[in-house]
Amino acid sequence: MMKPPLNEILPAAKSTVSTVYDHSNDPWFKERFSVVESEKSVVLKGKVVPRYLQREGFVPRKVDDFGDGGAFPEIHIAQYPLDMGRNRSAKPGSKILPVTVDAHGNVAYDAIVRQDENSKKIVYSQHKDIVPKILKNVEEEDDMDEDEELQKEIEQTTQETKAALEKIVNVRLSAAQPKNVPQHNSESKYIKYKPSQQSAAFNSGANERIIRMVEMPVDPLEPPKFKHKRVPRASGSPPVPVMHSPPRPVTVKDQQDWKIPPCISNWKNPKGYTIPLDKRLAADGRGLQDVQINDNFAKLSEALYVAEQKAREAVAMRSKVQKEMMMKEKERKEQELRALAQKARAERTGTVVAPPPSSMATPMDDMDTRGDYDTVRERQKDAPPKESREEREERLKRDKIREERKRERERERRLEAKDAAMGKKSKITRDRDRDISEKIALGGANVGNGKGGGEVMYDQRLFNQEKGMDSGFATDDQYNVYDKGLFTAQPTLSTLYKPKKDVDGEMYGGADEQMDKIMKTERFKPDKAFTGTSERAGPRDRPVEFDREVEEADPFGLDQFLTEVKKGKKAMDKVGGGGTMRASGGSSTRDGYDGGSGRSRIGFEKGK
Amino acid sequence: MEYKGIKSIAEIPKQGNARGQEPAAPSNALALPGPESSRDQEKGVSQNALVVGPSLQSRGKNEGGVPGKSTAVIPASSSSSSRNFSTSAIIERIPSRWPRPEWHAPWKNYRVISGHLGWVRSIAFDPSNTWFCTGSADRTIKIWDVASGRLKYTLTGHIEQIRGLAVSQRHTYMFSAGDDKQVKCWDLEQNKVIRSYHGHLSGVYCLALHPTIDLLLTGGRDSVCRVWDIRTKMQAFALAGHDNTVCSVFTRPTDPQVVTGSHDSTIKFWDLRYGKTMTTLTHHKKSVRALARHPTEHSFASASAENIKKFSLPRGEFLHNMLSQQKTIINAMAINEDGVMVTGGDNGSLWFWDWKSGHNFQQAQTIVQPGSLDSEAAIYAASFDLTGSRLITCEADKTIKMWKQDENATPETHPVNFKPPKDIRRF
Repeated sequence: MMKPPLNEILPAAKSTVSTVYDHSNDPWFKERFSVVESEKSVVLKGKVVPRYLQREGFVPRKVDDFGDGGAFPEIHIAQYPLDMGRNRSAKPGSKILPVTVDAHGNVAYDAIVRQDENSKKIVYSQHKDIVPKILKNVEEEDDMDEDEELQKEIEQTTQETKAALEKIVNVRLSAAQPKNVPQHNSESKYIKYKPSQQSAAFNSGANERIIRMVEMPVDPLEPPKFKHKRVPRASGSPPVPVMHSPPRPVTVKDQQDWKIPPCISNWKNPKGYTIPLDKRLAADGRGLQDVQINDNFAKLSEALYVAEQKAREAVAMRSKVQKEMMMKEKERKEQELRALAQKARAERTGTVVAPPPSSMATPMDDMDTRGDYDTVRERQKDAPPKESREEREERLKRDKIREERKRERERERRLEAKDAAMGKKSKITRDRDRDISEKIALGGANVGNGKGGGEVMYDQRLFNQEKGMDSGFATDDQYNVYDKGLFTAQPTLSTLYKPKKDVDGEMYGGADEQMDKIMKTERFKPDKAFTGTSERAGPRDRPVEFDREVEEADPFGLDQFLTEVKKGKKAMDKVGGGGTMRASGGSSTRDGYDGGSGRSRIGFEKGK
Repeated sequence: MEYKGIKSIAEIPKQGNARGQEPAAPSNALALPGPESSRDQEKGVSQNALVVGPSLQSRGKNEGGVPGKSTAVIPASSSSSSRNFSTSAIIERIPSRWPRPEWHAPWKNYRVISGHLGWVRSIAFDPSNTWFCTGSADRTIKIWDVASGRLKYTLTGHIEQIRGLAVSQRHTYMFSAGDDKQVKCWDLEQNKVIRSYHGHLSGVYCLALHPTIDLLLTGGRDSVCRVWDIRTKMQAFALAGHDNTVCSVFTRPTDPQVVTGSHDSTIKFWDLRYGKTMTTLTHHKKSVRALARHPTEHSFASASAENIKKFSLPRGEFLHNMLSQQKTIINAMAINEDGVMVTGGDNGSLWFWDWKSGHNFQQAQTIVQPGSLDSEAAIYAASFDLTGSRLITCEADKTIKMWKQDENATPETHPVNFKPPKDIRRF
């Protein structure tokens, strides 16, 4: 059976020539010993079948492994001597696993999960793997050995892992190092170039060029020009059996527990439309509960009211009593003073004047007597005491009025000073800073209800009309329409160029500071004229007045002649008529006006 | 349907023997499923043939578990039972071997620190146990004195809430990670940011330091756990494989060196040498928001909204569930060396468990500070101090609460109310 293949296998004899007769080449010998020799050759080829009891680790797979024999019963794998029983239809790459059995002849159904990659892993696939076990804890005695073993194992694992990881990390590190940046060769190449068309029109007339070729430098940090395609992840380790029971079907209770009610909005209905306001309010039950206010609130407020009332009464009473007490005290003191004064007077005059009845004494009297004191002295000095009783009374009355006025003025001044100190605008000064429109609206202007009452301003041009055009109706640009200033309360000029108080105070500082700043600055000097001008203006106290231009000298009198011709002698009259004069007069009136008098119609007169 | 099993293992063979129909080995007890009413039909049921082979086989495979566990065999063709037991033909029942819980003193709140202006989301302890730091939604990290609870320092630099904090044991560094995709390294000698690890595509939710190598692990909303070399700021690996936010991570010195929990309800073990998954645990039904490693044992616990599960470590074998369900989202979990595990929930419930038995011995509820809503009672982070005698919780009412054990409590005043689980079928 083995002969035909063996003959083919055997190498051809290298030489048939030999010095010694080799009987092995004899046909008879060949016939007899060829089998033995063939067996020898098998042995020489390395297909040695180990001896019995030495076949540990020997896996017979190929036909040769059986060495012309049958299967080895002591080797526990599927064996196919002479390919007998091998399934020829199964291709080498097929995914069908052979059925395997364990030692007890049970089919190992989990062979499929212990295939290629998983074959080296621990794969739990059997029922016993999910059965509870208790960890043995009997190895307490050999603790020392185990510790040492463990230490050894730890060291070994550490070393191995460290080495493996170092290798990986070093590779990655060296990849990241910049030494791997490709060096571009800096050497350049020179190329001589002769254009084929030798004429001035081409190549700017040159008949030869030398070109230097250099490699373009590459930016090592340039991002890659080409996109990396994302490679789908390699499939991980093959799947392993699921070692837990299948998920339980959801029970009814679970389902109910998972039913989450939709959120209910007060603003939108389930369709998403806005709920009207009244329904929303009705829904939230706000109007359903009626508010109950405790009685005690009313009681409390009533009690508070009563208490307050009482307290007020008590306070009023007390203050009244106090006032009376003070009044009495004052009276007493005045009486004493009066008595003293009387005494002193009596001593001076030598006459004894009976003290005035104390019960009749009033503050009025008191003042009278004090006035008396002065006047008596005065009288004694220069005036003989011959005035009659009526005269004396008159005088006393006048004195009293005078005194009163004086006191009032003083009081006002004091008040004003206090107000000014407190930053409050006094009655007098408060109008100063107002806007013109405000002043007019408040009646501060001279118009209409002036202080004279019913004083009306008239356009001056309406008067003296009997004189005709030559008296009134000056030219329009002459500002002499009104005979006095619009504001009489204060001089306009003193306020016109001053910053207003309290306007933009916080931005520019107070009015005074601003004024100071303006006054003290070197740049702004109201009196400084332009350099080179001849006229040197003094301090100005009024707006700049623009003079009417003096008519240019008319050497030939042509203009004059023309006007004369036009207007006749009327023009000459007007020159002396004093239209301009009156304007200045008006202004002087205004300046001199002291304001606030009750006199009527004084302003309509011409300037004196 | 409640499983009304037979009371104790000792009774089972007796009952079986009394009936005289038990062909099974004495260690294999027969338990019958079904409600109380099915008891009447026991005789009819028990006449069914019992399959012994698989039970033996399962015992042999369960060598890692407690030896000598009793195995209950349930007849597949139970006419009385409405449930089909064909898939779960074998149920390990270990009521009597279930470990008894140790007694732990109840914990009580003794200090409330109010200083943050936002939710307090993360906490880390200093290796010297003198101070701890908390990260908050007010974008600050505050450093507090453990003993007095006084504020020592406030660090600013993040522009979003801080979700992860860690203090290095081997350097004077502190690490912080936040929703602003930034991972920062603070030098605690200068109180400055000295490194920033750039690469996360979305918020960073958790952070851990490798215990023996200078590695920093961060997991985030980009469902990747990234491994950073601390010194060079290079990303060594991006441990990709989760399908959802990676919200919890812890590290170990031996394999598996990294364990991550994710919102895709899986836990993955990672091989740090190659950056590959070692194992995927799919035992949870809901997102695993908290992972906690036991400080001494080779085991860890993972918390999701439906269950808290315990796994052994090198291989990730499922051990058991905690014996009660907190029924809330669990954001924080911590274990101390005395075997007390604490879990903090989104509704302010703080449950204390015995680690060994999974018994819940105390259910506390935080009290929100005045001025906050009742709904703002979530516990976002919890940590024991290094001695394990103090517990600090970070909460949504902007406070940090400190808990300690009640010294006056004794086992007499607070007896353990523990019933071993008769039926463990919640897996």
